Amino acid sequence: MLELYDYELSGNCYKIRLMLSFLNLNYTSKKVEFYPSKEHKSESFLELNPLGQLPVIFDQSVVLRDAQAILVYLAAKYDKSKNWYPIDDPDKLGFISQWLAFGDSITGSSSAARLHDTLFYGNFDIVKCRETAHSQFRILDEHLFFQEELGNKWICNGSHASIADIACFPYVALSEEGGISRMSYPAIRRWMDRFKRINGFVVMPGVFPAGPL
Amino acid sequence: MLDDLKKIWYPIASSSDLPKRHVYHAQLLGREFAVWRADDGNVNVWENRCLHRGVRLSIGINEGTELRCQYHGWRYANRTAGCTYIPAHPADAPSRTICNNTYPMKEFMGMVWSGEETFGDPTYFENFDEFTVLRPIPINANFDLVKELVKSKYDKLNYLCKDEVNGAFSVTFERSETILFFVQPQDSNLSVLRGVANKALEGAKKISFLKMHNQILQNSRQEIEKISKTMKNNPMIAQISNVSVELSELPEKSEKNRQANLRVMVSEKIKTAEGIVSIKFEALDGQLPTFQPGAHIDLHLQSGLIRQYSLVNGPGETNFYNIGVKLEEESAGGSSYIHNNLRVGDVLACSTPRNNFPLRRDSVKTIFVAGGIGLTPLLAMAQALNVMNLNYEFHYFVKNAKHIAFSSILEKSKDKVFIHEGFSPSLTVEKLSRILSKRQKSMNLYVCGPGPMLEATRRVASELSWPDKSIHFEYFKNNNEIDDSSCFEIELARSALTLNVPSGKSVLEVLRENGIDLPSSCEQGACGTCKVNVIEGEVDHQDVYLNDSEKLEGNIMMTCVSRALSNRLILDI
Repeated sequence: MLELYDYELSGNCYKIRLMLSFLNLNYTSKKVEFYPSKEHKSESFLELNPLGQLPVIFDQSVVLRDAQAILVYLAAKYDKSKNWYPIDDPDKLGFISQWLAFGDSITGSSSAARLHDTLFYGNFDIVKCRETAHSQFRILDEHLFFQEELGNKWICNGSHASIADIACFPYVALSEEGGISRMSYPAIRRWMDRFKRINGFVVMPGVFPAGPL
Repeated sequence: MLDDLKKIWYPIASSSDLPKRHVYHAQLLGREFAVWRADDGNVNVWENRCLHRGVRLSIGINEGTELRCQYHGWRYANRTAGCTYIPAHPADAPSRTICNNTYPMKEFMGMVWSGEETFGDPTYFENFDEFTVLRPIPINANFDLVKELVKSKYDKLNYLCKDEVNGAFSVTFERSETILFFVQPQDSNLSVLRGVANKALEGAKKISFLKMHNQILQNSRQEIEKISKTMKNNPMIAQISNVSVELSELPEKSEKNRQANLRVMVSEKIKTAEGIVSIKFEALDGQLPTFQPGAHIDLHLQSGLIRQYSLVNGPGETNFYNIGVKLEEESAGGSSYIHNNLRVGDVLACSTPRNNFPLRRDSVKTIFVAGGIGLTPLLAMAQALNVMNLNYEFHYFVKNAKHIAFSSILEKSKDKVFIHEGFSPSLTVEKLSRILSKRQKSMNLYVCGPGPMLEATRRVASELSWPDKSIHFEYFKNNNEIDDSSCFEIELARSALTLNVPSGKSVLEVLRENGIDLPSSCEQGACGTCKVNVIEGEVDHQDVYLNDSEKLEGNIMMTCVSRALSNRLILDI
């Protein structure tokens, strides 16, 4: 069975848990204690991922690290509908990759601020992290506002959410734990409500469910 | 200066910021708001703070009729912001003092407007018939600076700039295209620039127009924020007002009996079934107080009679009170007055809603048994359970199809409503045995109807080993003959008073004669309003409100009809 090296409070692991839930895939969660024991920096874990980062998946013979890479792998391999990662549509794939990189970049800002505030982790310039997160959120909010005007509910065009939405969601949704308010980003807040209403959505600590529509 | 700004109406959101079942997060002059649109279209602007633990309501859940706090699930009603349910206290009706602060709201020109202490009408400037709302731009700068620099930006682009009232300004291009701008001061160093243009655009034209101004404003924002970084302004600190004096203090001592502090107007009177009218009341001005399912009001009729009626309203239906009144054959004047004399437009006095029949919402399943007009409080309860998607069965016993009242509400939950027509008393008992035999742990039974039917239901439930605490009932009236021949002494533990209750007078009357005002409603031992806690002494229960185990415990009594078997009662008053 598919194994996920997992930490409950990690937004990057949450991306994978969301994908697995949306695709209704069974998996085993291998708990890795990020805080306080820093198990992800232990020798045995570094053997699996020399970067010492979560998540990692183990699927048959494939060992894969990096949340975005794992999203691509899982969607391409297991999503028969090809909704989450339309492998036959190069235009969409380009945009999806662009926003996957954006989702990853929030790890360095919003996620870093959260690690600093809630898990006392790392040696980050907290002011700089928050500033960067705000400038990233401005870009995402503007993009989502005009997507709505064009009749698109998601980050990339089309009627179905893509792995780009999954990649961006966790650290946007957890930003307030790092002191980054989302009050100024109403289009992001609306997109979050829509995302939470996708069939199969699961929560994590700090991410609350939306009500019924 | 802040005090002057508080009087101004500001746009705090675009209408499109409030899609179905969303909660929008706003701020004005340092004060945060949770803004949400109920399913009936009403926009609520509330203090962004749950009264319980202070958590932001902007992360709460908009359920369409109520807003639920994300933390411990307190529910607040559309319009009134009154708390309707506290999950940690499932058996209690929340106090009416638990009511969040609400702020004025207007919606026009595609925007939602509010303010702390708004004055007058917000439409003081030319209202556009056709309009397009620009994308709002949040800017980390003081509102004065924003205004100055945005104006100069448009000036450079050859727009004609003009100051409007209350800090607004307009920019006009080639004498035809005008954009009105409002700078919403979120805080001393945080603003939102909101623009609305005087033409209705659609499709690609709209998008290119929005994008063009979005770009102009974002460029302007860069310049503004560069300058703003060098300036320092103290943050605006919003004071969160306390609960109003009227709600926070004990009511004044008075010798008035049943109080009617509301004035309502009959706004609708329709026949809903044979011999039953549905009546809606609206407030003469302001907002009607919050109610919870199971609540009733005292209606003071022009004829001087006082009658209790349960509210039928579903959750969030807060702009009217709806009651059902059956014409009683032996009417003492109450129901016949309502049926024959009351007209739309009439003004009546009534009490604030009181809830002595609270609905638990932690049951695995709730069984409702309604007889005739007894369906009214149960109908309000069923609608609350609908909203929360909780499991229930609604059994409604009626004479025949013509006697089915409020059928339009019943229709909405067809699969849960079972109507039993024309059952004889013995068939009713048989049916009840079948309904109540499916008891599981954590089920609750709510019964309301005529006395004999209620007695039968309680008896059947008891025989099927339903515990007393899970059988909840409400009688229309107390059919017991009241024996008020005893005389005894009451000691009021907290008031340090000892009083004599002579035969022929109730405890309630004696208390009132001595300046102790106890709330009361039916005054015949049916509604539960005048209950007090008993510390010592044996009570002679004559009411129909308490169940048998409560009577046996003897810790509570109804002061309007119940008396003492011992020589003395010590009451917790």
